[in-house]
Amino acid sequence: MKRLFYAMALAAGLSLPAVAQDPAKIPDTSKIVPPMDVSTLKNYLPVGRPANLKPSAIPDLSGDWAADNKRGGFGQSLSAADPGGRMRGKEPDIKYLPWALQRTLAENPPTGPDAKYEVTTDPQMHYCEPHGVGRIYMHPVKARYVQTPEAVYILHEMGPAFRVVWLQADHPADPDPQYWGHSIGWYEGGDTLVVDSVGFNDRSWLDQVGHPHTEKLHTIERFKRIGADVLEYDITIDDPGAYAAPWPGHRNFIKSTTGFMRYMWVCSVRDNNEHYQNTFAPGNDSGVTTFGK
Amino acid sequence: MKKLLLAVALGVLTGPGTVLAHHGGNLYDTTKAVELKGTITKFEWGTPHNQIYFDVKTDKGEMQHWVGSTEPAGVMLERGWTRKSLLPGDAVTVYIFAAKNGATVGNLQKIVKADGTVLSA
Repeated sequence: MKRLFYAMALAAGLSLPAVAQDPAKIPDTSKIVPPMDVSTLKNYLPVGRPANLKPSAIPDLSGDWAADNKRGGFGQSLSAADPGGRMRGKEPDIKYLPWALQRTLAENPPTGPDAKYEVTTDPQMHYCEPHGVGRIYMHPVKARYVQTPEAVYILHEMGPAFRVVWLQADHPADPDPQYWGHSIGWYEGGDTLVVDSVGFNDRSWLDQVGHPHTEKLHTIERFKRIGADVLEYDITIDDPGAYAAPWPGHRNFIKSTTGFMRYMWVCSVRDNNEHYQNTFAPGNDSGVTTFGK
Repeated sequence: MKKLLLAVALGVLTGPGTVLAHHGGNLYDTTKAVELKGTITKFEWGTPHNQIYFDVKTDKGEMQHWVGSTEPAGVMLERGWTRKSLLPGDAVTVYIFAAKNGATVGNLQKIVKADGTVLSA
C-alpha cells in the first residue's frame, strides 16, 4: 500500500509532507520489491515463547536510558559489524536477498557516511512515520521501561511512540501488520528482558542507512542489565523475505539522570522544514532548495 | 573570509558519533572546524536540531549572519545544555563544520562563552 501511495504521489507530483521538492531527484525505491510472494516463506528462527522456559527473577529495568556514547552511541547501521554505516551493502554479517541489497543501495540516508539529506528517501523523514523496532534505539531519544505483571511498556521520548510487550499472552495467529508489530516477552537469567515480535508492516527502515524489511520480519530483542548504569541491547533480524539468514544488531544504553520527558521529540514536518531551510539549504548546490512545502 | 576562518583540528573537538548523527555530511566540511568570534542573535531550542544564530564581523567590516545546528534538545540536555545556555547578546567563540560552498551555515561543534564556559556539541 505504501509503495502504491508513494509511486502515485511521486507520479502525480503531490505535495508530500516533507520531501516534495523535486521528485526527479529522489529515487523511487518503492519499485524495488521482493520478486516473490514472501508469505510462502518460513521464518528461520522459532517464533514466540519457548516451551520450556525456566522461571526467572524480574530484572530491574527502571530508570531512563540514553545512548551510551562510550559504547557506540546512536550509530547508523543496525549491523553489529558496521555500526557506523560505512560498509552499506557489504556488511559481513548481513546476507541480503538480491532485491534487498538493491533496495538498500538505492536508498538515500539522511545521516551518516552516505547521507544525501536533500534527496533522502527516508520514509520517517518524508512522513514522520514511526521508526519501528530496531531503528528507534538508534534515534537520539531516551526510553523508559515500565514493568507490570501484565506487560512491559516501553516509552520513547519521541512521538508519541510507545511499545507494549505482553508478558502473559502469545502472538495472535494472524496479527494485523503494524509499524511496531506485536510483541510478547519474558524474563531470562534474572537480568534480561527478551522480546519476540512479529506482525510488522513493511514501511519502516530497520536503521538509519535504509535496510528494508518485509511483513515477514521477526525480531528477537534482549535488554540486559549489565551493571548499575548500563543496559545492553541485542536484536536479531529474522526476515526471510529480505535476508538469507538472521543477522545481529547491538547497542548500549546508559542511565540518564536528566529527567524523562523534559523535551519530547514530536516529529513535525514544519520543524523539519525550518531546520532544512535555515541550516542546510544554503549549503546545497544541487538545485534542491526546499524541503517540504 | 578565509582570513577570518581558523582551521582547528577535528579530533580534539568531537567524536565520530557527533558528526554522523547530523545531517549534512556531504555538504559540510567535516574534516575541520572553523573558529568564528561573534555574538548570539537567537537560540532555538528544540527538534529536529537546535539552531544557533550568530553574527560575525569580518576583517573587512562585513557582518555575516551564521546559523549552526546541534543535536536536538533532549540530547543536549544530556550534555549539560539548557534552553538558556545561550542568550541574545552573548559574546562567543564558535567552532563549526561549515558548508563547503561558502554559505554561512554548518554543524556546530563547540561554543566558548566570554566567561570561559565551554558548551560542547
